[in-house]
Amino acid sequence: MELIHKFGLEPSLFLFQTINFLIIAFILKKFLFNPLKKMFDERKHKVEQCLQDVESARIALENANEEKQHILEEAENNAGTLIAAVKVSIEETKEQAAREAKDRSEQIVYDAKQKVAAEFENMSKQIGKISADISGKVISRVLSNLFTDEEKQKLISRALEKIDEKVTN
Amino acid sequence: MQLNPEVLFLVAGFPVTNTVIATIITDIVIIAFVIIVSRAFTLMPGNMQNAIETIIDFFREIAEEISGERAVFIYPWVVSLFIFIAVSNLIAQFPGFESIRFHSSASEGHGVPFLRAATSDLNMTLALAVTSVIVTNYLGVKYKGIKAYVGRFLSFKIFPVFLFVGILEFTNEFTKLISFSFRLFGNIFAGEKVLATMYRLFPIGFPLPFVALELMVAVVQAIVFSMLTMVFMHIMTDKSH
Repeated sequence: MELIHKFGLEPSLFLFQTINFLIIAFILKKFLFNPLKKMFDERKHKVEQCLQDVESARIALENANEEKQHILEEAENNAGTLIAAVKVSIEETKEQAAREAKDRSEQIVYDAKQKVAAEFENMSKQIGKISADISGKVISRVLSNLFTDEEKQKLISRALEKIDEKVTN
Repeated sequence: MQLNPEVLFLVAGFPVTNTVIATIITDIVIIAFVIIVSRAFTLMPGNMQNAIETIIDFFREIAEEISGERAVFIYPWVVSLFIFIAVSNLIAQFPGFESIRFHSSASEGHGVPFLRAATSDLNMTLALAVTSVIVTNYLGVKYKGIKAYVGRFLSFKIFPVFLFVGILEFTNEFTKLISFSFRLFGNIFAGEKVLATMYRLFPIGFPLPFVALELMVAVVQAIVFSMLTMVFMHIMTDKSH
């Protein structure tokens, strides 16, 4: 008892301190821990929601990337097909142009040959005509002294006929 | 400075001691802090909220680590004990404690200190110890059931081994009271005594390292008290024990 008295143990003080602490513990729980717990839960919920959003965004991004890749591959394939088609078309156009050019050149050559042949024929005719005239004149001059007019005429006619035959052949 | 708190005056027969005044100041500080902090609770915490969240999270994480889902009931008690003891101890380091004297008709000479650390009163530390032990046993009944709880103290398995163990466990509950209350009381009382002596011998400069030491002791003792409570609560509520 003396020891208890020495340490100042007093039932009323002990009771006061116990009740005081219980009140403080109650206040702390009611006004500090509970609101904080609520806030922790809310924060945790928000963080989880944010994580879910991030996950959704990640999945959406992955899908978008896959779609992009798919589109790129498709575009690449389309581009390949188009390039091949264009190449074929170019080749065809080239061939067609070459063919047309060849046909045209052949036509030109043919036309030229025809023209040359016609010119040659014409010239041959003219030359024949001129040579016939010259021959006629030469013969008439040569024969004018040897034959009579009637013989001359016969000879000239026969010569002209021969010339005509030759020219025609 | 004597072991028992000095009675300043009586209110309706209730002895108002200097430790009671210190306790009331502690209450005012805690309540004011709670009001200020709880008004400004936001999802993005400020400095004050951050500080209190850090303290609560520290104990909650430890409690969850060792006790799992039982931590929900354990950590509020532990944090309450920590805050109350830490604030009581730290407030006592402010100027005015021990130095402001109170003169009454009963006091002699220089009078008695008007303020004294609340935890340097055995009534206070014993009250905290009793609360801690009672709550611990209550949680034991709640989580293990009355049969398992009583079986902890009274068991006839492998007679008389567990009966003896039960007696030891029962005695242990009382030794907890003594160790809890006297450890805190002894540390704070001795610290105040050392500081008072230092201030008397070399009032300027010299006591500063001791003040720093006392600040550390104030927090360490609060941690020790609350952590031991947590451990005892875990042991009492754990079904494997």
